[in-house]
Amino acid sequence: MTEPWVDTLLYADGLHKLYPDGHVQALNGVTFGVHAGEYVAITGPSGCGKSTLLNVIGALDRCDQGMVYFQSVPLSTYRDLARFRSLQIGFVFQSFYLLPTLTSQENVQVPMFGRGLDVRARRRKADELLEQVGMTKRARHLPVQLSVGERQRVAVARALANDPPLLLADEPTGNLDTGNAAQILDLLTTLQRDRGMTLVVVTHSPEVAARANRIISMRDGKVIESSDSAAMPANR
Amino acid sequence: MYFITFILKNLTRRPVRTALTIIGLTVALGSTIALLGISDSVSHAVKTSFERRGIDIIVTAAGKTDQLTSDFSETLVEEASKIPGVQDAEAAIVELIELTRDSGSSVPVLIQGWPAKSFGYEDLTLLSGRRLSAGDHGKAMLGTTLAENLNKKVGDTIVIQGERLEVVGIYKSFVVFENGSATLLLDDVQRMTGRVGRVTGFTIRVAKSSPDSIAEVEEVCKKIDALRDPKDPSVGLNAQTTRTYIDTVAHLKMVRGMAWMVSMIALMIGVFSMLNTMVMSVFERTQEIGILRAVGWSRGRIVSMILGEAVFLGLAAAALGTVGAIAVTYLLTLSPKVNGFIEGGVAPVVIAQGVGLTVLIALVGSAYPAFRAAKLLPTEAIRHD
Repeated sequence: MTEPWVDTLLYADGLHKLYPDGHVQALNGVTFGVHAGEYVAITGPSGCGKSTLLNVIGALDRCDQGMVYFQSVPLSTYRDLARFRSLQIGFVFQSFYLLPTLTSQENVQVPMFGRGLDVRARRRKADELLEQVGMTKRARHLPVQLSVGERQRVAVARALANDPPLLLADEPTGNLDTGNAAQILDLLTTLQRDRGMTLVVVTHSPEVAARANRIISMRDGKVIESSDSAAMPANR
Repeated sequence: MYFITFILKNLTRRPVRTALTIIGLTVALGSTIALLGISDSVSHAVKTSFERRGIDIIVTAAGKTDQLTSDFSETLVEEASKIPGVQDAEAAIVELIELTRDSGSSVPVLIQGWPAKSFGYEDLTLLSGRRLSAGDHGKAMLGTTLAENLNKKVGDTIVIQGERLEVVGIYKSFVVFENGSATLLLDDVQRMTGRVGRVTGFTIRVAKSSPDSIAEVEEVCKKIDALRDPKDPSVGLNAQTTRTYIDTVAHLKMVRGMAWMVSMIALMIGVFSMLNTMVMSVFERTQEIGILRAVGWSRGRIVSMILGEAVFLGLAAAALGTVGAIAVTYLLTLSPKVNGFIEGGVAPVVIAQGVGLTVLIALVGSAYPAFRAAKLLPTEAIRHD
């Protein structure tokens, strides 16, 4: 019998995690797989464990029980999770988390340190990514000089810095107005389609979820439903 | 963007804190360099006074570590001069004596008592007047710094131990503390200090087959050590090579010890200043460090970033502290109270020691916050507000 994580890009197998207070089960046996090129939305009410799940599958946090497989390899066998995150995963956060003293171009270069690229290559790559997200003219601006929508564009460019196969986004439109949210959503779906990336988005937004190939619904730390979205065909 | 640019931006974003940390480290380092510089300057002056005169051996009473506390019969100098290999043996008294200023106040002044035929006079550059000669009792030569401090010139008088002495010459010496001292004939100093027929030490030039012949010098040392005062056989002599004397002389050891002790206190303050700054800096940037970890920075790179910031702070403090220490030691040479005991400037080796220590304390002070930051879980760090 073939193991369920074979042929998946990412597979969460029976993840359990208690909140640090020791009483609330953030993840309670979460199991699901994501195939390469998919756009998966994880939805559910606040406190249902969506963000915790994203952190665990992104190797930002540990689970108490269960296993995460990336390209069929358990994350627990990776000796250097920082390097794994650097090369395999791009993160987009609700609050952007740009470094305030760095320009847009410099923020995009941050994940490239330690990859053996010289300074020219880093700059060139950052400029290319900023062009892709439509931020070329704002490359020399500090985050404080950008609108919230522009900040999220820079954050998306930063997430793509090392060309990761998987992009994890935690409420990427949560801090944006309707217009900016639509633009960021367009950007993410375009990048996912054009680059063939896998996109996993945690969201409350029906608009964001509606664009996904698949919607995973969570409640009380469990997956209660995993259904294909009618909006887009799965890109498997 | 270079990694170094990133580090510098972290420092310049909080200019007041960075400046205050640099000032704290600068004071610690400046004090250290100045103190060690002064200690080194005194040692260097003493060493120069012997080496440039070609002195190979310094003799003091056995059990006494320097000339200021030594005392023995002058006849032992004559005995030593008869030892084969001894080219010159020259008796001296070195003493700190109260000199009365015209205002009536007293200052301690280093007095050298030399015989009229001493080879030491050959190294004094006369700025005015003449050198002492046989029969010049009640007369004195003044070092240029002392003459300036007392505002004395040739023909004036000075008062030492209540005795009036005529100034016959003003000299400049390559030995910095000799410029702050007075030189009298040996028998005048013997009389004034109640040491008739006695000396505090003597110096020897050895007739060597080559300038570096240590064996011949040590052979003479052994023979001098064996000499005994016939009137008081319990009094022996301690003959040391110039280098050994400098290393063991009690006052210099005390100066060096004090300099290091005070420096260590200053440096400890520097470590805690650094620790405080870096702990606060890391605490305030916890979320940022979490972001860096999330985007793939290794623990090692986080540690490098924080230690790099510390090294920059240390180097900035080192530059300012060195300039400050040189300025302070120069200003000290102008002070009458210092009386020419030190020379301006700081030896490069002392500066190198100070800079090395500053970078070290910067690293020590930032090691804990650096490793603490590196151990943070990215999610915990990102949640920190």
